[in-house]
Amino acid sequence: MGAGAWWEGTRMVAGRNLAEGARSRAVRITTLILLVVGLAVVIVPKLLGDDEPTYTLATVGEASAPVRAQLDAASETAEFAVAYLPKGGAQEVELAVREGDATVGLAGSTMFVRTDAPGSFPVLVAQAVVAEQSAAMLLDAGLTPEQLAEVTSLPPPEQVEVGPVQDEGRAGVGFIVGIVLYLAIVISGNVIANNVGIEKSTRIAEVLLAVLRPSQILVGNVLGIGLQTLVQLLVLSVPIIAALTVTDGLDLPSAAAADIALALAWFVLGFFIYAFLFAAAAALVDKVSEVSSVITPVTTFLVVAYLAAIIVVPQDPGSALSVFLSMFPLTSPMAMPVRWSSGTVPEWQLVASMVLAIGAAVLIAWFGSSVYRRALVITGRRLKLREVLPEKG
Amino acid sequence: MLQVRGVSHAFGDRAVLDDVRFDVVPGVLTGLLGPNGAGKTTLMRIMFDVIDPISGATWWQGHEVTPADRRRWGYMPQERGLYPAMPAGEQLVYFARLHGVDREHATRSAKDLLEELGLGDRWSDRPDKLSGGMQQRLQLAAALVHDPEVIVLDEPFAGLDPVAVEELSKTLLERVRAGRTVLLSSHQLDLVQDLCESIVMLDHGRIVLAGRVADLRASSGRRQLRLTIASADRQWLAALPEVTVVEDLADDLRLDLPPGTDPLAVLDAARAAGQVTDFGLELPTLSQLFMAAAGELAEVS
Repeated sequence: MGAGAWWEGTRMVAGRNLAEGARSRAVRITTLILLVVGLAVVIVPKLLGDDEPTYTLATVGEASAPVRAQLDAASETAEFAVAYLPKGGAQEVELAVREGDATVGLAGSTMFVRTDAPGSFPVLVAQAVVAEQSAAMLLDAGLTPEQLAEVTSLPPPEQVEVGPVQDEGRAGVGFIVGIVLYLAIVISGNVIANNVGIEKSTRIAEVLLAVLRPSQILVGNVLGIGLQTLVQLLVLSVPIIAALTVTDGLDLPSAAAADIALALAWFVLGFFIYAFLFAAAAALVDKVSEVSSVITPVTTFLVVAYLAAIIVVPQDPGSALSVFLSMFPLTSPMAMPVRWSSGTVPEWQLVASMVLAIGAAVLIAWFGSSVYRRALVITGRRLKLREVLPEKG
Repeated sequence: MLQVRGVSHAFGDRAVLDDVRFDVVPGVLTGLLGPNGAGKTTLMRIMFDVIDPISGATWWQGHEVTPADRRRWGYMPQERGLYPAMPAGEQLVYFARLHGVDREHATRSAKDLLEELGLGDRWSDRPDKLSGGMQQRLQLAAALVHDPEVIVLDEPFAGLDPVAVEELSKTLLERVRAGRTVLLSSHQLDLVQDLCESIVMLDHGRIVLAGRVADLRASSGRRQLRLTIASADRQWLAALPEVTVVEDLADDLRLDLPPGTDPLAVLDAARAAGQVTDFGLELPTLSQLFMAAAGELAEVS
């Protein structure tokens, strides 16, 4: 059979799977939910984010100009608003703070602070007052306004961060990506196993085998379900990636956009590695009700791999075990995205891990096809794996 | 012409087909007959390359069958296969397209076939919502939707009621008259003896009988004498040792006469014993021929 004819039949099998998915209410609802979640991640923080906090400063009479200037400048960079509440005397200022009308109150050398006031605002007010007073004292001591400006513009020491460049926001993204990848592989693997089980137990497989090669049926099934799952993942992630790259509105580091895009690539690899295992296992059944039990070994391995990825890797992304998990092909699709998001992985390790995963996917596809081809035509009982293993030599 | 040439197969040490060879001629409805376990399904799977034989091959139009040939064949397996949740019409279009028919032709052909099989209003119905009889007709439609040159059906009559058997026979005979090559298998030998023009009988993987049904039945030399006799006395049979009783139900007596026995002499003996109100001379049934042939073969080996 030529490659063209092979692909033609495979495409039809994949197309049938996609059409069946599009017809399925469960698939449509899941996709809709994923779209809503994807959009919500983008939109909800924006809605909440517009509501920047306003801190109120109560003063005896109008607040002084230097204090206002300092606080207004700070509010621009720190994303909050400052309101001023002039009062007639110290007692009124204290009352305003006590009743919650003001966050901080100033009366002469006394500062009233609510017990639940956010930590930074009282400090800013205190700094502004001290700066105003010290400026006045320096001017009194004979400094010219130019000299004063020089003193106040002294730069603070430059900060250099040391230690692992871990970013908690980004690591959080890695954690979520790990969960989503795991679920995507488990769910799509189960759909594939179920389809293979239905085709074999209803003997549709026999009708198909009369006109298609086993590899066409297998690859067609895997591609159809894989595309469907990939579309669902895109529906979930494209709004998030777009929001991270185009705007700066999310409380997430923009490096997370690249992490999520990379995760999609990892889905493709992880999916192929496990999909062929799921399909080969499901070909052993006689009745469709046996599917869940024959895929248990595959599912169990997947669960263990996932747990290892989310428990071991975040604790110490640089440990030997973490490195191993992120390189070994059966665990790397879940472990490497989590580890990569720690920001501490050399690029060569990412590339090596992907190459290993691609190689493993090809091997497993060959192994899976071989088991699938043998198992599909033996009906009437549930098969043991060793009955259909590829022959040696 | 479809030719099965020396096909042998075994599962482990157990031989299931032993040098099976026969031809299926276009326009002649051919039956592949034999009891359960005779190797019929295995042979059909080999013809469709679902499993590889140990030796032998299937030939079509003078060459070994290619995958391209098989795309123009239709196969209905014994254990029926339909996607439970895929609407009937779409399912037929899908199977037609797998056989290389374009979507437009596939859709038209699927519509016509559903109409022909009395499923015209079931296009959008899921198979798992159809009755058992409708599912069987839909399965037949799936095997015929690409208008195959060769039609192979494994046990198509299994589980059908007499009306459905009649309808299926009609559908198949139409294809045969249109010059298609049709092979069907059955373990119910007498059910298909009036339908199939030609038969191949398998027992334990070997052909025990093959040829045109009419010739086989006539040339066996055996006859059956059916008598309705108003007497319970069977003493007169003792004088006829070569005659065996096939069936003895109240007034109805069915006797097997070996070659050379004069049916009229037997009839006279019966009349002497009691009043004969009805009688008939019949050719042996396919199952009787099978029993005889399988018995002989067992004795030889």
